[in-house]
Amino acid sequence: MTRKFKIGIFDDEVKFISTIRSLQEEKLKIFDVFMPYPVHEVFHLLKRKSHLPTAAYFFGLFGILATLGFLYFASVINWPVVYGGKPFNSFPSFIVVTIVVTILTVTIGSLALFSARSKLFPGRDNTIFDLRATDDKFLIVVDTDLEDISIAGRVGNIMEEQGAIEVIDKEFEKVET
Amino acid sequence: MYNRKIRGPLVEGNKTMGQITGDVIFPLDTNPGLWWYIAFGISSLAALFGGYAIYITVSKGIGTWGVNNTVGWGWAIVNFVWWIGIGHAGTAFSIFLLILRQKWRTSINRSAEAMTVFAVMCAALFPALHMGRIWLAFYIFPYPNTRGPLWVNFNSPLFWDFTAISAYLLISASFWYLGMLPDLGTIRDKTVSKIKKAIYGFFSLGWTGSSRQWIRFESLSFVLGGIAAVLVVSVHSIVATDFAVGIEPGWHSTIFPPFFVIGAIFSGFAMVMTLMVLIRKIYKLTDYITDNHMDAIARILIFISLIMGTAYLTEVFIAWYSGNEFEMFTFFKNRMTGDYTLQFWAMIVCNAFIPQLFWFRKIRRNWVGLLSISLIINLGMWFERYNIVITSLSKDYLPSNWVSYHPTVIDIGVFVGTIGLFATGVLLFMRFVPMMAISELKSVAHIGNKKED
Repeated sequence: MTRKFKIGIFDDEVKFISTIRSLQEEKLKIFDVFMPYPVHEVFHLLKRKSHLPTAAYFFGLFGILATLGFLYFASVINWPVVYGGKPFNSFPSFIVVTIVVTILTVTIGSLALFSARSKLFPGRDNTIFDLRATDDKFLIVVDTDLEDISIAGRVGNIMEEQGAIEVIDKEFEKVET
Repeated sequence: MYNRKIRGPLVEGNKTMGQITGDVIFPLDTNPGLWWYIAFGISSLAALFGGYAIYITVSKGIGTWGVNNTVGWGWAIVNFVWWIGIGHAGTAFSIFLLILRQKWRTSINRSAEAMTVFAVMCAALFPALHMGRIWLAFYIFPYPNTRGPLWVNFNSPLFWDFTAISAYLLISASFWYLGMLPDLGTIRDKTVSKIKKAIYGFFSLGWTGSSRQWIRFESLSFVLGGIAAVLVVSVHSIVATDFAVGIEPGWHSTIFPPFFVIGAIFSGFAMVMTLMVLIRKIYKLTDYITDNHMDAIARILIFISLIMGTAYLTEVFIAWYSGNEFEMFTFFKNRMTGDYTLQFWAMIVCNAFIPQLFWFRKIRRNWVGLLSISLIINLGMWFERYNIVITSLSKDYLPSNWVSYHPTVIDIGVFVGTIGLFATGVLLFMRFVPMMAISELKSVAHIGNKKED
C-alpha cells in the first residue's frame, strides 16, 4: 500500500519555523521535519524530547554497582591476595577502575539505545523524502493519506503562503523513519 | 552577539549552506594531487620500517632495544607517554569546548578527534610491545582464567592504565564516528557515484536528519561529551600515577597527575595546530579555519605554556625544599647539570619560553610562525618525557646501579613507524572523510556575519 505525503521545501530557517507554527495553529498534523542542522525551536514546537540522559544515568548506576561488585568478588571472595599489607577490600584503589568502566558502560549503553531508538544501524534504509534535506534545505512532511481529502490542499496552501520554495507530492511504498 | 566582538565571524565569506557542503566535500571528490601520493608513499614507508622493527622486537625479544636492567623503560615508554599526550587533544578540543559551548570548535573538532584516534592507537602499541611476549598480552584482561583463577592486580596503576586506554580508544572512536553520521548522510545524498552512495550509505546508518534523530543525536553528544571529559582527565592522571607510585627520585611526586594532564593538552593542542596550519594551507580552507581560529589556539597555548613553566619551577623548588638529597641530586646534578643537561634545557626552552612568542599578534597570524612553534612544542614535550623517564631511571639510589641509556635502531624504528602510521591515518582521513563537521558549520555560519548582529 502506498502512502501519500505533501512535502514543503524551504531554504530559510525563519520561514520554515513560521510554517510549522501555522500548520499547528490550523491543527494540521506534521508527520516529521528534516533539517540539515538541528534547530532548537523545532524541538519545542513539535514537543520532541529525549530521555537519553535519564537512561544514561541508569546505565551509569548499573556500571558502578557491577564494577564495584566484581572488584569485591575478585579481590575478597574469589581469590584474596595481600598486596603490600593492604586490606583485601582496598576500596580507594578500586575507584579509578570503577570510574573508567562506568564511563565505558554509559557510552556503550547510550550508543546502543540511540541506535535502537533512532533506528540507525548498518544497512538501515530509512526513507529519504528529499535528497536536499541533508544539504541545504528544510523539509516539512505531512501525511496526506487521510480520509479528509481537503487537508492536502490546505497544507499545500499554507506552505506556499509562508514561502516554501517548492511544494511536492510524493508517494512511498514503504515508509521507514 | 559577543562571539563577533571577540573573534569575528566563525565562517568567513557569507557562505550559503550549499557552499559549505560543497567546500567541505570537495577534497573527497577530486584527485588529491601529487603531494598526497608522495606524502602517502613516505609515511607508508615509515610505517613499513616500523613494521620491520616490530617484527624484530617480537621475534627476538626486547633485548634488541636499548633498555637494560636499570633503565627498564626506555624510548618505548617515552614515546607511549608522548603519543597518549597528543591523543588528548582531540577529545579535549571537542569535549571541553562542547561543554563550554565554544562554537569556534566546529571547524576543528573533526580533525582533532581523528588525530586522537590515530595517536592513541600508536600509543597503545608501545606498552603492548614492552611486555616482551606480546602473544600473552591477553593475561592483562581480568577474566576467569585457568590459572587459579588468578585475577590481575586491581590496585596497580598499570592495570588502571590498560583499562583507561582501552576505554579511551573505544570512546573517542565512537564519539568521532557519531559526529560524522550527519555528514556521511550528506555525502550519500550528494554524490552521483553509485559505489560511493552505497559505501557512504552503509556507514551513515540510515541518517535522514529528521527532528527525532537530531534531538537524540544532540542529547547523546552531550551525554558522551560530559562523561568523556572525566575520562580525558583520568587517562593521563593514571599515566602519571604509573610514575608517581614508583619510588624513583624525580617520579615520586604528587604534582604528577595535574602536571601530566596539562602537558598532554599542551602537546595535543600543538599537534592540532600543526595539522590545522597544513590543512588550511593545502586545501585553502581559510574561510572555515580562519586566522581567528588559529589565534584562539595560540592563546590557549600561551596560557598552558605558563602553567608548564610553573610546574617545572615547582618541581625544582620542591626538590630543594624537601631537603631530600636524592631528589636534589636528580634535579640539580642529573637534570639541570650533568649528563642530561641538553634534554632538560631543551624541554624548558621549547615548552616554557618559545611559546611565549605567541604574545605577538604578528606571530599568531603568520603560518610559518604557527607551524614552527607548534612543532617545537611537540619536540619539547618529547624531551620532557625523555627527561622524566630516562634521567630518573639511569641514576637512582645506588651508584652501582647507574647505567647510561642509548636507543638502538630498533627503538628508533618503532618510533618512526608510529609516526608513519599516524601520518598515513591522517592522510587517509583527509582523503575519504569530511574534514570538518558540515552540519555544525551550517549552524554557526551566520554568527558574526549577519547584519543585525
